[in-house]
Amino acid sequence: MKRLHNVRSAILALGLSVAALSFAAIAPGAPLIQPASAKPPAPMAFCHAYPEAKACNTGFAECAACHTTPPARNAFGMQVSEKLAPGMARPLSDEDFLKYLPAALKAVEDLDADSDGFSNIVEIMAGTQTADANSVPKTLACATDDSTRAASAQWNVCAYDAAYTFKKVHMDFCGRSPLRADMDGFRRITDEKAKLARISEAIDQCLDSPYWLGPNGVVWNIANAKIRPAYAVKSGENPGPVPLGDYDDDYNLFTWANSDDHDVRDLLLAQYFVKRTGPVTLEQISEEELAKRPRGTMQPVPKDKRVGMISTRWFGAVNTMFTSIPRTTAAQAYRSYLGFDIARMQGLNTVPHEPKDYDIKGVGAPECAVCHATLDPLSYPFTRYNGISGGYSYNDDRLKDYVRVDGPRVAEAPAGGMILGQNVADLLEWGKVAANSDAFAMKVTYDYWKLLIGREPDVNDQAEYTRLWRGLKSATTYNYRVEKMLHDLVRTNAYGRP
Amino acid sequence: MTKLIVSGLAALIALAACTTTPEPAPLEFAADTPPPVASADPRVQFKDGERYLSDLSANLNMPREDICKELSRYDCMTDAFRIVLGGVEAPNLLVNEPIENAALTSPIAVDRVALHVCSNRVRMDREKPAEAVLLKTGGFGADGRAKSPDTKWLNTTADAIYGSILMRSPSEREIQNLAAYYSQVAEGRPGNSADVAADWVTLSCFAVASSLEAVFY
Repeated sequence: MKRLHNVRSAILALGLSVAALSFAAIAPGAPLIQPASAKPPAPMAFCHAYPEAKACNTGFAECAACHTTPPARNAFGMQVSEKLAPGMARPLSDEDFLKYLPAALKAVEDLDADSDGFSNIVEIMAGTQTADANSVPKTLACATDDSTRAASAQWNVCAYDAAYTFKKVHMDFCGRSPLRADMDGFRRITDEKAKLARISEAIDQCLDSPYWLGPNGVVWNIANAKIRPAYAVKSGENPGPVPLGDYDDDYNLFTWANSDDHDVRDLLLAQYFVKRTGPVTLEQISEEELAKRPRGTMQPVPKDKRVGMISTRWFGAVNTMFTSIPRTTAAQAYRSYLGFDIARMQGLNTVPHEPKDYDIKGVGAPECAVCHATLDPLSYPFTRYNGISGGYSYNDDRLKDYVRVDGPRVAEAPAGGMILGQNVADLLEWGKVAANSDAFAMKVTYDYWKLLIGREPDVNDQAEYTRLWRGLKSATTYNYRVEKMLHDLVRTNAYGRP
Repeated sequence: MTKLIVSGLAALIALAACTTTPEPAPLEFAADTPPPVASADPRVQFKDGERYLSDLSANLNMPREDICKELSRYDCMTDAFRIVLGGVEAPNLLVNEPIENAALTSPIAVDRVALHVCSNRVRMDREKPAEAVLLKTGGFGADGRAKSPDTKWLNTTADAIYGSILMRSPSEREIQNLAAYYSQVAEGRPGNSADVAADWVTLSCFAVASSLEAVFY
């Protein structure tokens, strides 16, 4: 089924624009394929021109805003490129690119790149795709006559339907339909506030159920793509044939941070581990108990160097493995907790004079540098954390062990790096910047939104989705408590309107 | 059973939303009943196998661990059809998230599970009539010699099927459809056969259990 480009994609994709709009800076009629080169953050420039655009919540727009598969441009990108400093020699300097881009965007506002009847500017502001005729602004509002009829039907498709929500909450949070008596009882409630209270009560009960909190439960399964367990190399309880690390620690910490009155930022800040004491109960492990663990399940990174989920033994074992500059590790952390998939050119934030290619992997080639100018500075803070080689420990001099394989310059790679445009001294700071970012709050909210709504947030969900992730960040709203956010998520029209 | 399924196909098509038909009959509404309003943002979700079986287990009073086993050994969800029924298996199969779109075999698996569960329920009902959930006795009169099941029994059984599986009372039309289906199931066989009655309950249960309403939410 073809969907409108969703808000999340739109937001994340502007990372593409770093490369995408950069490529737009070529002469009209010039070949579409141009040598890739690191350019200023064009997606940010796009959002500087349109700060109120739906796609600019985080200051990034999508590559897809101007490109098909970068560097090839879509219809809108072609229009922009034609108006971008026509007559000037190519390639444009970064300064000229940024200088002339706003005028080029302005010049094509009233055009209709995809001929769908909606001008480019209308689509930009609505959050639909300027180059996709199937992506058009639409309204979910019912006509008056329809609203009247829908209100008397079994499910009211024109408004938030509390009875529908009550049934859905049981399915989503408890893994079963409500009992018939409970459903009939709910339908007898006439007071709207009482209905919402009853729904909240049901959620509270289900949030403590094995279906939600237990091993292989809902929260556990959200973590699958972030942890990427592999039984063959599991250690600890129920070990695989080649035990390297125990991902149960990771699942337990993930479940802990996402439940009860716990701060979800601990996914990237925790300096403790958690154990399961029952089907739905968890508790922090004391350092004494942790120190007594057998070799196969030890967590060798010292407490003051731990950075939640991204410095665990398992994370190092399956991502860093034997590498000096753990790019895969950084990319997985960036994707899992901030929602930026560098392989899809998302979240690109070019750092000047990068990549330096300390390990002589050839990442400085123009076609590689487009991503590695972001990825490598993102990876440096991981270079002091061992994977399989080095025994999963922390070591300030770790890179010296790689000189023989990766050359002498590898030892020069810094412990500090850059994430989201901010310099960080080490992985601890990396985790703090990430955990406090908009992108983190959006990713947490997005995971639950996709699970519970059944699709990614789209244009019509923008206001509700934004309210939720901003609320997650706000100390006076949800204060990074996932369960509080979920209580409001089920009150959105996106969830409760059939 | 196969013959019955084939002969009853037309009725099942009308009842089971999982099944498709080339030319669906238009919905009929009373003159004074306007058509329902379509959702502007439809997003029904698949229950997935675990929730589906959990519901059937609770509603049909069958232990979850016994409700559906392939070859009498393998649990239909956890062992046999986990991935196509929307489950995940991260540590061994590296399936970290449910498949985005239903697999070609997903509806087949749902149908198989539904038929399995319904067959088991009816078998249990016949083995212990006093604890029957769907197939209750008394269909052929007080002496059991009536030529066909009485209307009250048919309606009560239809009501039990809807009530047990969908946890709601059926509409009059839904009851009429199921009751009328009995004659199709009985075609070519004695109408007062206990086997025919059991087949009718099994297939009616299957039709409701494989409906859009039972499989999605």
